[in-house]
Amino acid sequence: MRKSLVALVAALALALMVPAVGLAGGKEIKIGVIYPLTGGAAAAGRVLRNGAELAAEIANQVVPGVDMEMAKHAGIKSLGGAKIKLIFKDHQGNPQLGADLAKKLIKDDKVVGILGCYFSSVTKTVSAVCERYGVPMINGSSTSPALTTRGFKWFWRTTPHDKWFTKDLFELLMGLRKGKVRGVKAVPADQLSVLAAACEKTEWGSHVSALIKEFAGQYGFKLPVNLLYAAKSPDLSSEVQSLIAAKPDAMLFASYTSDAILMIKTLKSMKAKPKLIWGQDAGFDKPEFRALGADIEGILTRSVFLPSVAKVKKVAGQVNAIYKKKYGINLDGASARAFTGLQTWVYVLEKAGSTDPKAIQKACNSIKIPGDQLVVPWAGIKFANVGGETGQNVLGMGLIGQYQMKNGKLGLEIVYPFDLATADMIFPFKGY
Amino acid sequence: MEDLLVAMLKSLVSGLLMGLVFALVALGLTIIFGVMDIVNFAHGEMLMIGMYTTVVLSPWLGIDPLFTLPVCGLVGAVLGLLCYYGLIRYLLRGPMIAQLFGTFGLMLFLRNLALLFMGSEPRIIHQGVLVGKSFLVGPGLVLESTKLAAAVLSIASFWVCWWLINRTKVGKALTATSLDKEGARYMGISTESMNALAWAIGGASVSIAGGLLVNFWPVDPNVGLLFTMIAFATVALGGFGSIRGALFAGVIIGLIVQLPPVWDAAVRFLAWEPLQGVTIHSFKYTLVYFIYFLIMVVRPQGLFGWKQ
Repeated sequence: MRKSLVALVAALALALMVPAVGLAGGKEIKIGVIYPLTGGAAAAGRVLRNGAELAAEIANQVVPGVDMEMAKHAGIKSLGGAKIKLIFKDHQGNPQLGADLAKKLIKDDKVVGILGCYFSSVTKTVSAVCERYGVPMINGSSTSPALTTRGFKWFWRTTPHDKWFTKDLFELLMGLRKGKVRGVKAVPADQLSVLAAACEKTEWGSHVSALIKEFAGQYGFKLPVNLLYAAKSPDLSSEVQSLIAAKPDAMLFASYTSDAILMIKTLKSMKAKPKLIWGQDAGFDKPEFRALGADIEGILTRSVFLPSVAKVKKVAGQVNAIYKKKYGINLDGASARAFTGLQTWVYVLEKAGSTDPKAIQKACNSIKIPGDQLVVPWAGIKFANVGGETGQNVLGMGLIGQYQMKNGKLGLEIVYPFDLATADMIFPFKGY
Repeated sequence: MEDLLVAMLKSLVSGLLMGLVFALVALGLTIIFGVMDIVNFAHGEMLMIGMYTTVVLSPWLGIDPLFTLPVCGLVGAVLGLLCYYGLIRYLLRGPMIAQLFGTFGLMLFLRNLALLFMGSEPRIIHQGVLVGKSFLVGPGLVLESTKLAAAVLSIASFWVCWWLINRTKVGKALTATSLDKEGARYMGISTESMNALAWAIGGASVSIAGGLLVNFWPVDPNVGLLFTMIAFATVALGGFGSIRGALFAGVIIGLIVQLPPVWDAAVRFLAWEPLQGVTIHSFKYTLVYFIYFLIMVVRPQGLFGWKQ
């Protein structure tokens, strides 16, 4: 009796171990990566892909000169040096296609887990597929707050989301009033109290708009104009006219690329003179937007990564140097977060020591990656269930950068958080 | 009250300017339809190609974007002729549905061609006489130079087209072709050449519009759709084939999309609590299509339409 019990336990243990051993024995761990590689967001897709690829490369070999745990040994140590293999899929910005691709990755490619998908709308459908099949998914760059309020058990998000970013803006505004901002004397409250916001009207923009309204109320700012507009619109002069008519101290935007450019051009030609212009990343952080040059000097954008982070963070500088050598451009918000997303996968697998979904789930829920391991300027990565949120990294942090001209070249300098500031803030904005 | 009046004046001015731009974009569409009864879905793509022509030529030759406009016109005319002789001529033999899908296919083809050669990133002109310039007229009333130039060009184009059609022999032949193809052919008019001419004029006018718009609006391969939708509404509102109709309808649409700031000013003026903070910006195109819908119900041939 006792013998058979031992045999049974042994058999069970063996059965449990087999899949893990089987996969690790192959020395390859497949991660499905779903990004918009073609279509309107192909440019973003390309840098996302670069970021994830570079992280996998650093994980798979010893890279001297990078002060990161995963650069010190080849492959996943706890899985016998198994290598990460990325399988890229292109969702083209289509949530339905994304869900189908996720199914294919899970059933045909037998991936251990999924990374993606940049668009919040696609992340939504893909994570639902992962939840159904019990496959872990880590998201590095979708910022719709709703994603982590669904109570999913197989979804974790490393990036801070729009609620945090919007709060950062109001902290900066309060900082300006209190004289906490580098290079700016305290601004009297009555000279910085009226806000006007224009956000594009899809899910992302309308959510930002609602957040601006919520925080404006909380922090006691007036918000006479808070409008939504169609990003695909041939003309924005009526929107700009409404913004200017409200005589705001600060103008706030959530825009994609083309409409951000059109918005600035319209503001300029209609001679807008706010004291501050802030954009919620996206269009305000794109190379095409930067090409506006002197016209955007003094404009603020929230971001998660700026090249100037390399000045204050050693490991970011090291990785950026490799990235720049390989792809010819600096790390940006998209690539740095894709890098961090895949890096999180590596640390999670290292901690789990297995490719069994349950073990990965456990590792995700208990992992703590210290901030000094990351290229992004966060306190670290720790997923927690707080305030009705599940799987959200609570150690993330946003940045607010300001476009400034240095020696005739436009760059983004950090002005928030105050202790990471890399330059004096230009305030007030010179106006057009 | 003063705020409200100022807002109305501003909206009137920018609505008029933008309306003329919309009309300019719709001009080629209505000419092609008027002569041939073909709806050209690829119209916006011709606009896009005009925009790319300026974006590529201006920095390459080191000249002001304005001077590339004749080239845009030439490129547009050649493109129109190519489309006609390479595709449309054959489509005319088929049923109506073949013509619809044919130009739709042309639209997809041109769009993807642009995607292949120019990439998906938006491009824009940064240097030029018109770029970012504007004049301050009166208190807070700003005239944007790009739109002013586009509006002037629009009026000029409409006048040229009107003159061409009403005062020249070629114009008479065009009108004859659009009224009665068979009859025109009996009178010795080469309807084939008239069709080709319509495509050349259509392509040229919309490409010039593109070359001018790119001073202001970034171009990417999908930009055509933004303007095509408005152009269709303009043409349908004004009456298919009516040049005068396109002009008026363009201005009407331009004025409608400028209503939201007036609404905002009115809300502030009325100071009625429940309305504070309620904006109608996100519905401005809904308004355009709603009015279009109303006109279609009441007067299906459009305001100035004569083709049923």
